[in-house]
Amino acid sequence: MSTKRILLSLLAALVPAIAQAQGLSGNLVLYTSQPNTDAQQTVDAFKARNPGVTVTFVRDGTPKILAKLSAEFEAGQPQADVLLIADSVTMEGLKKEDRLLAHEKADVSAYPAGTHDPQKFWFATKLITTGIAYNTKAGFKPASWQDLTRPEVKGQLVMPSPLTSGAALIHAATLTGAMDGGWKYYEALKDNDAVAGGGNGDVLKQVAGGQKLYGVIVDYMPIREKAKGAPIEFVFPKEGVSAVSEPVAILKSTKNPEAARAFVDFLLSKEGQELALKQGYIAAHPAVALPAGYPAREQIKVMSFDAGKALADETKNKAAFADIFGQ
Amino acid sequence: MRHRAQSRSFLERGGFCLLALVALIVVAFDVLPALRLLWAALLPGGAFNPDAMLTALSSRSAVRAAQASLETALLSTLLALPLGTAMALVLGITDLRRRRVASFLFVLSVMISPQVIALAFLHLAGPASPILNTLGFAPEAGSANPMMGRGGIILVLGLHHAPLVYVVMSAGLKRIPLAVVEAARIDGARPFRILTDHLMPLLRPHLASAALLAFVAGIGNFGIPALLGAPVNYLTLPVLIYRRLSSFGTDMIGDVSALGLLVAAIAITGVAASQVLMRRNDVQLEDDAPLRPFWLLGRARVATEIFVALVLAVTLVLPVLSLLASALVPSYGMPLSLATITLDNFVEVLARQDVTIRAFTNSLLYAGGAAGLLAGLAVPLAYGLVRLMGRARILAVSLLEIAYVLPGIVLAIACILLFLKPLPLLGFSLYATPWIILFAYLARFLSVALKPVLAGMVQVDVAQEEAAAIDGARLAQRLFGIVLPSLLPAAVAGGLMAFLLAFSELTVSALLWSAGTETIGVVLYNLEEAGLASQASAVAVVIVAVVTAAMLVLDALGRHLPAGALPWQSAMEDEAHMNREPARAPARTSVLDRLEPKAALS
Repeated sequence: MSTKRILLSLLAALVPAIAQAQGLSGNLVLYTSQPNTDAQQTVDAFKARNPGVTVTFVRDGTPKILAKLSAEFEAGQPQADVLLIADSVTMEGLKKEDRLLAHEKADVSAYPAGTHDPQKFWFATKLITTGIAYNTKAGFKPASWQDLTRPEVKGQLVMPSPLTSGAALIHAATLTGAMDGGWKYYEALKDNDAVAGGGNGDVLKQVAGGQKLYGVIVDYMPIREKAKGAPIEFVFPKEGVSAVSEPVAILKSTKNPEAARAFVDFLLSKEGQELALKQGYIAAHPAVALPAGYPAREQIKVMSFDAGKALADETKNKAAFADIFGQ
Repeated sequence: MRHRAQSRSFLERGGFCLLALVALIVVAFDVLPALRLLWAALLPGGAFNPDAMLTALSSRSAVRAAQASLETALLSTLLALPLGTAMALVLGITDLRRRRVASFLFVLSVMISPQVIALAFLHLAGPASPILNTLGFAPEAGSANPMMGRGGIILVLGLHHAPLVYVVMSAGLKRIPLAVVEAARIDGARPFRILTDHLMPLLRPHLASAALLAFVAGIGNFGIPALLGAPVNYLTLPVLIYRRLSSFGTDMIGDVSALGLLVAAIAITGVAASQVLMRRNDVQLEDDAPLRPFWLLGRARVATEIFVALVLAVTLVLPVLSLLASALVPSYGMPLSLATITLDNFVEVLARQDVTIRAFTNSLLYAGGAAGLLAGLAVPLAYGLVRLMGRARILAVSLLEIAYVLPGIVLAIACILLFLKPLPLLGFSLYATPWIILFAYLARFLSVALKPVLAGMVQVDVAQEEAAAIDGARLAQRLFGIVLPSLLPAAVAGGLMAFLLAFSELTVSALLWSAGTETIGVVLYNLEEAGLASQASAVAVVIVAVVTAAMLVLDALGRHLPAGALPWQSAMEDEAHMNREPARAPARTSVLDRLEPKAALS
């Protein structure tokens, strides 16, 4: 063996060791539907552990993130490495299209079955329920989904649109499955002059700002703003709530699979789950406590829904909603 | 002899290069995007299929959106027209004090991008308004924000486009010879009669042209209806296009191209009609002095000044105060008081969030880069157009306007169509890179940057250049030695103007941004959509500060510029400008009128 080859093989043996010593490096692009502030905190916490990795994130509603991603697939250059979006139905769709990378070594021992894909293509990180919020100045306090069709609520209800929000799409699929008459429930809301325009953030703004008194919204937003002093209250309706799990997944086209895996590991770790708690979310990890303002974990009644049907009907549901609410 | 022959051959060669540059720019930035759009709408999938286009155009939501676009554009024009005209007259013919400051502030309000203005008005009214809450005037909870929906869009569009009317009307006033007023005075006419009997008939084509421009700006506007209409499902065509593309993806691009073509057709018809009107009824300002303020208001002056102050308060001061108030409360919906006031939102967007910091850097980079390139391109382009093209320049200048007249959202679709698939031969796609945004900015703001340079170019003396040519100076030498020094201030001003408009724009980048290439306009919209109204306001306040600073730099540069290069200076009385007129170049009117005025279209 020539000296040169010895040197080369020595070098080759050293490179991983050096990389290991310095930790992970390179760029990581995260596409997420988390609000900007939360996404930034998540990224900062990950970077504190992995200072060598530069994380860039893009935030938008899940359907918009997917639309952007599909254009990028078409252009032949998907930008994202990791997705952290609202719902697992969308993830199932991407898995079927063979866009995801399995993370076989992910440690899911603490999590019950069903919170992650059995083949480890995606992993739930939180439990985000959709319920009812009202402005504290409202006279009537709704307690159920059916209450939203009452005359007291007429003209005062705002909802997120499934064209903007992934949680809203699942919510529509859940409610139309669970309520008698399916889409008739939404027709009744429309007859009660409900509006659906933007995402959950828009609902928060309108209800906290008092432009509308009632809103259909994800739990953490009003609970968090109430703690800051905003005049808003959140209700878990008596029929139950719909829920999404904000799953994380790695795209097959990632240029930095090592860092992507580390990001997933971080979200599933105790530390990552406690960050979710600190941010005001219900963490997916069953051992992590619930944030202030929530009832106990077992008191939250989640309505069941058919994930396979939701995936098959995705476009149909969007169109049905758009048709009723004129989008 | 031999020496001259050599120089001529070089001149021809250089001339050819310049002509090629002009042609390349016209084709790349204007003709190509327009053709690509036509192709996508008329020949979806490569076959002529007008049915597909008709289906897209006749869907219920498309018809509704077209109706919303037409009514908001039309009614807002009815508001902008009297307001802008009144301001132009008051600041142009009366002896009002501080006309210069008023003109600057009025035009500043149109330079602040529409989505910032929309955000400001949104937070100005309604139960959550920090200002109203602080004053205790906030309407009861559960009452809708009056700025949301049709009425709000019309109001804000009207106020926002009034300065556009003002700029056109001020330019029109400037073209009326002082002799008209003097002759009427000798006849004993009072100022009011001079205005109604002598000036207004001369201003009629400008009035029509201003109305058309305000209408076109209303049709193409995205920021205002996106923030004020989308949350209550009152969608105009540009917002419908955005929503379809951003929620359903590029599968919709064929439908969306058809809608884009519809918007483009309305806009192009409007602008073309306005230009025909201006040219047909042009007042010839030959060697006469232009109009100067002649109406001494006397006791009515204070009342008039209060009117101007009110207009400025409503269009600029109140909205900016509203933004500031929203940015200083911890959460939207809370009143501003000593107990609640906080700088957290500024810290969050300026120091903590990578996205906003990156977006500020990106916008500075893209807008600055585009502005620099455009300033550099404008000089040879103006030279080629004015010196080398003869009559063909009218066609070329018209073509160069396409990308500016196209609503921004439509230009963005054209860019996606052009650059989504990997480029032929090169094999990579510009989509999801900064280059697609830079390309769109170059195309869109070229005619803005070109305007002052073209105005300066027609004033560069041919004789001086001819003398240099006889001395054997080559084209390049003449360009750098003679033309460039006299056009430099105009090129810088054109670049700055492009920067001003590009820095916080949203219409183009809303569809073109991707991870890492967010612009500040996109981040502002995104924050507002995510419900982070206070942080969005903080971003908006910073945008206003940057735009104001750039305007002040431009204003300071104003003394070195050809008359009329800056829209807010056409109305002010400045002796230096007065004396520089009239221009000598005979070709001036035909070229310049096609370029007036270059304030923000959408």
